[in-house]
Amino acid sequence: MDRKQTFKKLLEDNEFVFLDGGTGTMLQNMGMKLGEIPDLLNIKDPEMLIGLQRSYIDAGAMIINASTFSSNRYKLGRTGYTTEEVISAAIAVSRKAAEGRALVALDIGPLGLMVEPTGNLSMEEAYDAFREAAVAGEKAGADLVFIETMTDLAELKAAVLAVRENTELPVMASMSFDANLRTFTGCSVEAMAMTIGGLGVDALGINCSLGPREMYPIVEKLSEWTRVPMLVKPNAGLPDPKTGEYSITAEEFADCMEQMIPLGLKLPGGCCGTTPEFIKTLRERFSKHRFTAPAAGAARSAVCSANRTVVIDQPRIIGERINPTGKKLFKEALKKRDMGYILSQAISQAEAGADILDINVGLPEIDEPEMMRGVVKAVQAVTDVPLQIDSSDPAAVEAGLRACSGKAIVNSVNGEEKSLAAVLPIVKKYGAAVVGLTLDENGIPKTAQARIDIAKRIMDRAVAIGIPKEDIYIDCLTLTASAEQENVLETVRALRRVKEELGLKTVLGVSNISFGLPNRGLINRNFLAMALSYGLDLPIINPNDEEMTGAVRAYKVLAAIDRNSTEYIEAYKDYVAPAPAGAGGQSSGSAGGQASAAGTSGAEGASGASGPLGSAILHGLKDDCARITAEMLETTDSLDIVNEHLIPALDKAGEDFEKGRSFLPQLIMSATAAQASFDEIKKRLARTGGGDVSKGKIVLATVKGDIHDIGKNIVKVLLENYGYEIIDLGRDVDKERVLEAVVENDVHLVGLSALMTTTLGSMADTISLIADKRCDCKVMVGGAVLTPEYAANIGADFYARDAKEAVDIAKKVFG
Amino acid sequence: MIIPKVNRRDTLRYLRSKAGQPEADAALEKLLDECEERLNKAIVPRYTYRQFRIISGEDGGVALDGCRLVLEGEDIRRHLAGCDSAILLVATLSDGVDRLIRLAQVGDMERAVVYDAMASTAVEDLLDKIELEIAEREKGRYMTWRFSPGYGDLPIDCQGEFLEALDADRRVGVRLTPGMLLVPTKSVTAIIGLSDAPTEKKTGSCATCNMRETCAFRKTGERCGG
Repeated sequence: MDRKQTFKKLLEDNEFVFLDGGTGTMLQNMGMKLGEIPDLLNIKDPEMLIGLQRSYIDAGAMIINASTFSSNRYKLGRTGYTTEEVISAAIAVSRKAAEGRALVALDIGPLGLMVEPTGNLSMEEAYDAFREAAVAGEKAGADLVFIETMTDLAELKAAVLAVRENTELPVMASMSFDANLRTFTGCSVEAMAMTIGGLGVDALGINCSLGPREMYPIVEKLSEWTRVPMLVKPNAGLPDPKTGEYSITAEEFADCMEQMIPLGLKLPGGCCGTTPEFIKTLRERFSKHRFTAPAAGAARSAVCSANRTVVIDQPRIIGERINPTGKKLFKEALKKRDMGYILSQAISQAEAGADILDINVGLPEIDEPEMMRGVVKAVQAVTDVPLQIDSSDPAAVEAGLRACSGKAIVNSVNGEEKSLAAVLPIVKKYGAAVVGLTLDENGIPKTAQARIDIAKRIMDRAVAIGIPKEDIYIDCLTLTASAEQENVLETVRALRRVKEELGLKTVLGVSNISFGLPNRGLINRNFLAMALSYGLDLPIINPNDEEMTGAVRAYKVLAAIDRNSTEYIEAYKDYVAPAPAGAGGQSSGSAGGQASAAGTSGAEGASGASGPLGSAILHGLKDDCARITAEMLETTDSLDIVNEHLIPALDKAGEDFEKGRSFLPQLIMSATAAQASFDEIKKRLARTGGGDVSKGKIVLATVKGDIHDIGKNIVKVLLENYGYEIIDLGRDVDKERVLEAVVENDVHLVGLSALMTTTLGSMADTISLIADKRCDCKVMVGGAVLTPEYAANIGADFYARDAKEAVDIAKKVFG
Repeated sequence: MIIPKVNRRDTLRYLRSKAGQPEADAALEKLLDECEERLNKAIVPRYTYRQFRIISGEDGGVALDGCRLVLEGEDIRRHLAGCDSAILLVATLSDGVDRLIRLAQVGDMERAVVYDAMASTAVEDLLDKIELEIAEREKGRYMTWRFSPGYGDLPIDCQGEFLEALDADRRVGVRLTPGMLLVPTKSVTAIIGLSDAPTEKKTGSCATCNMRETCAFRKTGERCGG
């Protein structure tokens, strides 16, 4: 029999599959130094490895790991060996050790670099490195791949995809968890189960980091969330910092592992500190038991990011705001790739109570798959709310799902053959959930029955290719009440029957209902309440609309979902009834009170910054600034406001900071308050078609290799609020990209930042490239390790010690 | 172990310019309170350390028994003079702090700078606690102050082997970028010498610090140590 088949057969039998124990710690006991890469022994001292691996097989291991944990282009970088050289040697060594008595797994560990957003390795680069290893492993004759000790869900996903898309080898995947049931990067057990289980791995589990006793609750949790065969390889307790010795015996280890049998443990083994004796004891102990597959639990509809899981056991809000349709500002932001705008939409929805964020970036003139990939990554970097990938382009859907570190929803498939054939296989491949629209070639049917027929067709097709029922959410489609009044009830009736007769979850975009009617909010709110009481699970709404979010909260109280009204009370504990209409006066009355947290920057008050606007800026009062500016615009020219009020106040705030009279957060608050003022002025200018307030364009970037961009972002806030237009290229930016932005936008000032001595080289390279190609463009530099002397040395025109100085430089350059 | 209270004085030192010593007003204190609460929820302190016997290295480097890493340079040799063992240590506040700072940078830059300063302070506070733990284990022995790769003439390039010697990725989730930045960003590596005889219990001096030209504290005329 084919050895790959042998592994699958082992999984199907009602027997345990014994894995091996620690390799690195064993080799250290045999004299290998800490910090050595054991993989190189495959070439330098294969007999040492053969001896060790044979002792595991003699102890009863049925699968042994080749010594390839670090065999990837990044970790081997310094050794002078290629991935393929080490892996082909390693598989040959393990084959020799196995002599047909055990299967040989290509062992794949983390790449050693952190993937984005915390690190700067892209998921695509990670994929390519894993692909290289997996292909080499298959070529060398590995029987399967074991991807292990992962802590980052995106990295693990890249590894699994690389193996599955480039080899035919079976895959076991495993992550390391802390006692808090999270990996080091915060990934939860259920997120691993859903995301990686959903990719169709053959076995899934937990290894390293903890001893078997501490691992029990993690295995228990995993058993609740997966039906994929479970592997568990704990450490032999914890190491002593002085001696490096591990704390528990083989007997204790076997005791703890035995307790995991009722949880459905299928593939037991050991990790750091375990020895052949541990595996032998384990095997003897387990011989008294038989493997019993865990009873299938209740199916559960859920989606997740790496850090947050949303179970759809009650109404959950899908935020609809990341969508350019009908939004001029959003379209502009997409075209300019202004992620800041899109991210602020994501964050405000998440804070307002969105459980899931819909992401739609469809614009005719952009590369949608590329944009989808970029936006998904950017949104994930700042929020842990799970995502719904919304596109009619299957390529964009796939790009979004690949980039998504978690289990997403695909919005959407419909009853048309073309849609079913294109979308469902992608949903299945990535283990996503899917929204099914009840329409087909003939449009949206009028009757509830016809919509249910389509829903059933979608369900049958999805289930046939292996998408479980709990991952299918049906959208019965909202029609406008003004045009098709009779159909409103048909929609909610269909919704109820989809739930009752087909047993599927339901989703509905709500706000279309009121199109063409006055006071749309009233209709929307009532339709939402109606749909919820008919059983709607996933309303797609604007979560920033307090009335709509409130309707969902209220429903959860009334339907006894929000027990003891806990969430409701939490949301409204500071609620103050709005003043009756016509009472006049102040319009603010929101709960937050954020503006009042602003600092009273500058003890001696507002000298040099005249009037109430200046004072509001100095005190960092955002709302007041907007209000006062709007009032002033009635009587004062906008440029006068900028030059006589805004800029002097900002100068004063800057001076206070510089002279040691205030702190950095206070300076930033003043700048943000001035932004509110600028926004009012821009609005006015847009209305009246007046001139531009932009004082000049500046490109900002943190140089290649550097991922600390907080300093650059402080500079950005300040410059923006002096009226400069900022083209922010972000962090870890190639020098070519900087030049491209300079040329494209005809820019005359570039600001570069670097935090580490190790990245100053790429700052120098960027400056010399700009100097070569664009001698009319000045460069200012800043960052913790820079000095004025060094800045001059590498050819920078200016050195900015802090954000205030960056503003002074800009003033000098632009006059 | 948690860090119940981040050192306010040190946090504020990161947040002011070279001149003067402003007093934080009530509004700023409130902002600091709010930030501290959220930051403390985001921090998951993790650390690991390992003790090695010092063996005389070739070419003037300090070699550690059973470890591939050799510590190069005059400064580390002087630092460990008279010590029989050295502790290699890595500590981190973990990835959640990076996430929090990233999030704040989208629309709350004033909070972002506070989180950043506070987290920098907190990771030093964490190291202080770990040092106490080591002192407890090594009662009766003498310890040097903490020396880090990049200080003086100890090259920063040794970070890779330093982390490998501690198996830092597996133990605490700390990795390196190709530009030698530790990630998560609020992470620190350090070397502490151990001796039976009293060591010079002076703290790190600016002379051996790789930040000496640009240090935020030095610009204000202060010292970070002691």
